[in-house]
Amino acid sequence: MSTSHEAEQLEARPQGVLRLRHRDFEPDQLLVMAIVNRTPDSFYQPGLTWDPAAAMERVHAVVAEGADIVDIGGVPARPGDEVDVSEEISRTVPFVAAVRDAYPELVISADTWRHEVAREVCAAGADLINDTWGGWDGRLIEVAAEFGAGLVCSHAGGLPPRTRPFRVAYADVVADVLTGTLALAGRAVAAGVEAARILIDPAHDFGKNTWHSLEITRRLSELAATGWPVLVSLSNKDFVGETLDAPLDERLPGTLATTAVSAWLGARVFRVHQVRETRHVLSMVSAIRGDIPPARAVRGLA
Amino acid sequence: MITGAALCPSPPLLSPQVTGRRPVLPELRAACAEAVRRLVAEESEVVEVIGPAAATGAWDAASRLDLSAFAPPNASRGAGSPPLALGLGAMLLDQAGYAGPRRLVAIGQDEPAGACARRGAEVADGNARTALLVMGDGSARRGLKAPGYLDPRAEGFDAEVERAVRAWDSGALLRLDPVLARDLMAAGRPAWQVLAGAMPAPAPACEVLYRDDPFGVAYLVAYLRPR
Repeated sequence: MSTSHEAEQLEARPQGVLRLRHRDFEPDQLLVMAIVNRTPDSFYQPGLTWDPAAAMERVHAVVAEGADIVDIGGVPARPGDEVDVSEEISRTVPFVAAVRDAYPELVISADTWRHEVAREVCAAGADLINDTWGGWDGRLIEVAAEFGAGLVCSHAGGLPPRTRPFRVAYADVVADVLTGTLALAGRAVAAGVEAARILIDPAHDFGKNTWHSLEITRRLSELAATGWPVLVSLSNKDFVGETLDAPLDERLPGTLATTAVSAWLGARVFRVHQVRETRHVLSMVSAIRGDIPPARAVRGLA
Repeated sequence: MITGAALCPSPPLLSPQVTGRRPVLPELRAACAEAVRRLVAEESEVVEVIGPAAATGAWDAASRLDLSAFAPPNASRGAGSPPLALGLGAMLLDQAGYAGPRRLVAIGQDEPAGACARRGAEVADGNARTALLVMGDGSARRGLKAPGYLDPRAEGFDAEVERAVRAWDSGALLRLDPVLARDLMAAGRPAWQVLAGAMPAPAPACEVLYRDDPFGVAYLVAYLRPR
């Protein structure tokens, strides 16, 4: 036992710089990735930003609220009407181009699993490919390498895109997450993706029941110990809803509690619907850690 | 002999290290900087910082402000750290770029007026041309939101201190009641009484650079130059 424990100790690697677009982010900088859906039927507030003008308004709003990254997606995660490649491109590419025009320095992430779509959005100005479905399309990595883009390496338990978990079982879900995401990250590096631009994401709810999502949250420090920057996507998800028996519109407190715990355990990027609230939670965690000072402290100091 | 005296308050928030990312009381900080700038511009041989503390005594001139007790992320400088008022005085001297000789002298908060005045006279009678940096705060009981809540006597007490400094009424400073000062949480009393004992006649030229109580504590910044 002591030998394997020592082996784990040896494997722990420090977090390094995360490089996105032209910027380097240090390990103690916690980043907010704002979700901007170009869909009529995503699970949370469906259709909110289906209209392009509304989507751009949302970008303006989240940037003003302190988002570091916008994550633009054209296909909902849940099953539903087919969205083929050309439809996904038409939903996302012109919009990515418009956001790039409006914000030359903003980090733009594209939420897609398809290499054909990734190619077009990268050409239009996206900096990061958020592959939520765990490397389903093996050629996605080539596109990231070709465009010098970043890549999110996720764990979806081997599920095909847009499918729901059905009686999924893991001997050790964290071990499976580590194996899957590290394999993807290794493949990406081998294919020429810059290591500083790679993140790993345990992908809460994807190929997981609520117990699994709670377990990966509880043991998130094991993911951080790999040295890869950890992205978590927690926002208003079903594991929060089931844990609290809370409908969609009552999941913010549970989301923020999970956000705080995840930040404490080493997550660095947070994909969210509510930017302002998340920013406050992350600033609070950073101040408790001592990474940033309070905004203004005078109590008892006069 | 005394070449000049700067009066500054000694709240922890004078240090930007404890107040966070936004600027706090920039006018107060600027006034203190100006008073100390004038002080170190005099042709003095030594600057003596005088600050109220638990007990009277000299501190190592090389010691510096230790904020660890006020803002724990700041590392402790160890057991030899000076009292807050002296640490802040040292900080102001450093900020002013003063690198010459300095003394850090604490005056006990219970020291009677006579002892304070004698300490001041010793400085004034010494051979060295000495600039005084006197750290002292008025009442911390100047309103319902003040650290010590409202004491209706606070306003009169602080007004009398300010009048005495402006008009240079050293007798009035020496008559400040230690018991009342303590009740009013006015920590500056013994330091001002040292100054009263040190400043020679005739009355010095006085300029008040700041007077306010933004957080319910009276802050007075002034520069005094002997005529």
